[in-house]
Amino acid sequence: MTDRKPGVYICKGCGIGEAVDTGALEALASGDLKVPVGKQHDFLCGAEGVATIEKDVADGLVNQPIIAACSQRVMTDQFNFDGAQTVRANLREWVAWAMPAGEEDTQMAAADQVRMGVAQASKMDVPEARVEEGLNTRILVVGGGSTGLNAALEAAATGHDVLLIEKTGKLGGWGAQWSKRMPHRPPYRDPQDNNVSSLIEAVQGNSAITVMTDTTVAETDGMPGRFNVKLANGSGEKQETVGAIVVATGWRPYDATKLGHLGYGASPDVVTGVELEGMLANGGVKRKSDGAVPRTVAFALCAGSRDPEHLPYCSSVCCGSSIKQALQIVEADPEAMVYIIFQELRTPGTAEEFYRQAQEAGVIFMKGKVKSVGADLTVTVDDELLGQEIPMTGLDMVVLATGRVPKATDPDKPAAEGGEEQLANDINPVAPIARAGEAEIATPAWSEAVPEGGPILNLQYRQGPHLPMLADGFADSHFICFPYETRRTGIYTCGPVRRPMDMAESAEDAAGAVLKAVQAIRSAQGGMSLHPRVGDLSFPKFGLDICTKCRRCTVECPFGAIDENEEGFPELNATRCRRCGTCMGACPVRTISFDNYNVQMVSEMISAVEIPDEFSEKYRILILACENDAAPALDMAGINRHSLNAEIRLIPVRCLGSVNMLWISDAFQRGYDGAMLMGCRSGDDYQCHFVKGSGIAEERMANVGQTLQSLMLEEGRVRSVEVSIADSAKVGKMIDEFVEEIRGYGMNPFKGF
Amino acid sequence: MSDTKKFTYYPGCSSLGSGAHLDRSIRAIAPKLGVELEELEDWNCCGASVGHIEGGQLANTSLSGRNLAHAQQQGPQDIVTGCAACYLNTHGAAEKIKSDVKLRENVNEALGAAGLKYDEDRRVRHVCEVIVNEVGLDKVREAVTNPLDGLKVAGYVGCQTVRPFAETEGGGEYDTFDDPQFLDDFIEACGAEAVEYDVKTACCGGSVSVMKPEKTLHLIKKILDAAVEADADVIATPCPLCQTNVEMYQDAINKKFGTDFNIPVVFYSQIMAVAFGMDGKKDAALDQNIIKATKLEAAAK
Amino acid sequence: MTVALPEQATRKYDLGFARWVRDNVNGGAKMSMCMQCGMCSGSCPIGTEMDQGPRKLFMMIRAGMKDEVFNSSTIWNCTSCYNCTVRCPRGVPVTYIIQDLAAKAVEFGYVKKVENARFAKAFWWSAKTFGRTDERLMTAKYYFSFGLVEGMKRGLANLKIAIGMVRTKRMHIGMPHKIKDTKGLQAILAKAAEIDARESKGGA
Repeated sequence: MTDRKPGVYICKGCGIGEAVDTGALEALASGDLKVPVGKQHDFLCGAEGVATIEKDVADGLVNQPIIAACSQRVMTDQFNFDGAQTVRANLREWVAWAMPAGEEDTQMAAADQVRMGVAQASKMDVPEARVEEGLNTRILVVGGGSTGLNAALEAAATGHDVLLIEKTGKLGGWGAQWSKRMPHRPPYRDPQDNNVSSLIEAVQGNSAITVMTDTTVAETDGMPGRFNVKLANGSGEKQETVGAIVVATGWRPYDATKLGHLGYGASPDVVTGVELEGMLANGGVKRKSDGAVPRTVAFALCAGSRDPEHLPYCSSVCCGSSIKQALQIVEADPEAMVYIIFQELRTPGTAEEFYRQAQEAGVIFMKGKVKSVGADLTVTVDDELLGQEIPMTGLDMVVLATGRVPKATDPDKPAAEGGEEQLANDINPVAPIARAGEAEIATPAWSEAVPEGGPILNLQYRQGPHLPMLADGFADSHFICFPYETRRTGIYTCGPVRRPMDMAESAEDAAGAVLKAVQAIRSAQGGMSLHPRVGDLSFPKFGLDICTKCRRCTVECPFGAIDENEEGFPELNATRCRRCGTCMGACPVRTISFDNYNVQMVSEMISAVEIPDEFSEKYRILILACENDAAPALDMAGINRHSLNAEIRLIPVRCLGSVNMLWISDAFQRGYDGAMLMGCRSGDDYQCHFVKGSGIAEERMANVGQTLQSLMLEEGRVRSVEVSIADSAKVGKMIDEFVEEIRGYGMNPFKGF
Repeated sequence: MSDTKKFTYYPGCSSLGSGAHLDRSIRAIAPKLGVELEELEDWNCCGASVGHIEGGQLANTSLSGRNLAHAQQQGPQDIVTGCAACYLNTHGAAEKIKSDVKLRENVNEALGAAGLKYDEDRRVRHVCEVIVNEVGLDKVREAVTNPLDGLKVAGYVGCQTVRPFAETEGGGEYDTFDDPQFLDDFIEACGAEAVEYDVKTACCGGSVSVMKPEKTLHLIKKILDAAVEADADVIATPCPLCQTNVEMYQDAINKKFGTDFNIPVVFYSQIMAVAFGMDGKKDAALDQNIIKATKLEAAAK
Repeated sequence: MTVALPEQATRKYDLGFARWVRDNVNGGAKMSMCMQCGMCSGSCPIGTEMDQGPRKLFMMIRAGMKDEVFNSSTIWNCTSCYNCTVRCPRGVPVTYIIQDLAAKAVEFGYVKKVENARFAKAFWWSAKTFGRTDERLMTAKYYFSFGLVEGMKRGLANLKIAIGMVRTKRMHIGMPHKIKDTKGLQAILAKAAEIDARESKGGA
């Protein structure tokens, strides 16, 4: 911005006027801070207050209104002015509502908020969008089972062309091979007719959908708006361009031959649930041994699921599908004796009705764990309640409700070269990051969890060919907060490849993933960021003049948005970028910046705070708070009138991944007494909105100790904490405890230098 | 009393023995509450909680069937009883017969042996439910001429007066299973204080206490402990078996646990009779309590 | 009279007994709704005096453990407080089932020596003979069912209570209370037993 015209607007409403001397703040702005326009208003977000600012902007007096009022998270529409760049300084939630009214320390906190706002404005520019013309809007759906069919139909319904590819020769997946499905409509009592064939008809009759069977993906390159996909089928390879990709590759049953202790293989009449479905769909249940209709059938639930030796997780659908099968058997023969042996029956939501229906129909549910199944079909049950192992004899058939394995890899493809190692890193979002020039870090425990087979999309990303996965081989999707987010912008997973789910859930899941795909395409067209910084037009800029080609930015970017060009300099895949700033935090020479967010900007804000001298007994603690969870939690602390220590100075950051360690040393050199980083939980149950940001920050913090030691300061003066959005009542106490510890160390001796 | 409502009254066997004071006091207060009680003709035992063991289910149900048949002959009015077990059995039998055609057939076949039949449906109600749903607390308050100021009462409801029918449609939905309020309301309506008493629906051991008290004395002790804790002058209950168990086992409990309980246990109907200004002996039957309710006696006119 | 019991299963799941309970025990048809959550056992005021508790008892029924069920102290120590019944999330009338299992245990000769069986016998004798429960005679009959010595002992142990009851006119001395039409009542009860016998044959 060539000609900055800041203006400070101080609101007196919502209790701010009672808590702090706004007149003094106005005087500070126009005095010491030399801001040409400084005004206060009783009710700034009201029509009159807004009109005042609008007029100053229209008159050309102000192009950077600094709103010293409420949180940056509220009143965004009111304080959005055409032709101007708004800066927010939070006097309400973080000062007036959280600190004692009328006290000197409260006033000092408010004054520093204004100082930081003015400093922020001095280093901000209006982002110029980077828009690419002619992007593709077609959606590729990978997988033609019920999830993929639903995804294709949903995508077509939003007006997008669809390319649906299916590995086998037929559409419909598992669902097409079943006679009935679990009830998904009221009264949720009886098995319902399977509607997969009508889905297939609808897809085939839709002119917007192109179906390719016997087809797999050989290679995927590019980014949202222009993914280049090489498709392979019997006749060769074909190049296609699509705007976004929905992966609905589904599941396969756990290999029952590994369940020898449950009798599989020992007797032909021990069958899997999938095999039983085949019988039900093809003329009824008959024993493989003699073709007789079984009269006494036992279902062993959790066959291989929730078993550390096999699948450690719950496959979620087997309880319901076994109930369905049991009801189908009892319906065909009301005198049949059907037992369901369960450890914990999981029938959430309306499935409870289904459970009751089966009980009423006379299906016997027994709580216990199946220990073994003999060749003579004797089922030995470890009965938890009776505390005994009890045999069940005289059975005609035993059904193993085997679990579901996600098809996040293609078991029929060879493992990709080097893919496994990269995947192992990927599976563990907090795995140590391999850096250029540093020794390779072994991750044995995780690499064992890498599923067999080759990559589904064979991504030509520097992060590797696979879809990112979590520990159990499910495709990673931000499962705690945003179910359809993956770490590959523009590529969305849905259905059982993401987590075990039934057909009804998969259909909803397909719709969700498609909507994300549509959003990815439209954001790419507008040069805007996707979730969570929706609509952000900024993007990282690299100052190549001082870049050392260290590759940290390319390695640490959670989304593969940065590649190296032939000369080894970073090169942006713009539409993959989510604007988290992790690259900026990583850059050792601080040459990566965003127009509206950069290292210098935060440094200026840190420096703008007035540090009282060492005789004042007033401490200053810098808190860098993630804007996604920690900052809102701090807002809510204010809203709920939990007190916040008046010696803290808060700066919201895009993600802890964007925190450059320079800021920490800046702060201590300026005389701050302590620094705290507040971010989201990392680990395989991460809550980081950018997946790896908080984990990366954690690692960088490991090195901050050295920096502090070189300054002759205690390591304990810096702390990184996890704050979730629900922590509003706790966050103030966390800060108080930290401030207490800092007081234990005493003041930073650098004060006044 | 302006409008009087008539009921067929089923006193039950305990009215002739251990629960005679319940029967006497109910008969005394009924007119004050606008309730006319006409005794059920030649009523018999309800079967209690053990009749089915020796007699079998159908014979046991037929005991109630005979009473219901007599009530049908007697008129269209509802049946009312003050005894928890009589209520449980007779109400339960009537509901079952109402919904089970086969059972009605069998019961009537048995009744035929004595020339009786039950082919209508009679509603079987508990006196407490009638007071809540028909009489109303206002009428109870109106009847009070001798408010029992300063008397601290622990309202002990017990089990079968509320379970399993108090929350059902057939049971008049008059209170809850776990935290019934009606007894405290009665006590307060009489001008006494209903102390905080969280064991109000604890079990006294029922008939198990009668046959093998060694297994259940600890249950009764819990009921007494809580009353002492709450500084109650007297425990009030609607159930004849609760009254007898909690009253007569205090000696045994004192012996077994080294305690010194001597707390009077009375019926809510005795408290009402006193509060209504009626005679302490003739109407309230306070002379029939083994542990004398001295404060209540002193308050009686 | 009830349909004959199935054979005892020995440490083996056998639905035969569970089905017999479903078809012959009062409330048994609802037992299949049990989901073994344990609300019944957790709500029982007298679980300490039971060897199994209702939840485990139901599991034993499913396991075909007939003898263990009928010999269980659980069925004899139920106080009929109905906590389990009103709290069961699946609407299983636990109390009715337990009460009727007790009746079946008597019918099939499991428990001649259990107090409850003697008490029930004394109770029914009074109900059948007089049409009413005469607490005094019934109690005496119950006490003396243990034999003369034990009967005297039990009587003496409760003498103080009895004296108190007599003094407060809650126990009378003299002729038992009787209904008018004892003959009619006895005819009804005889007929009911006859119907029971007939039905159980039909159902067998």
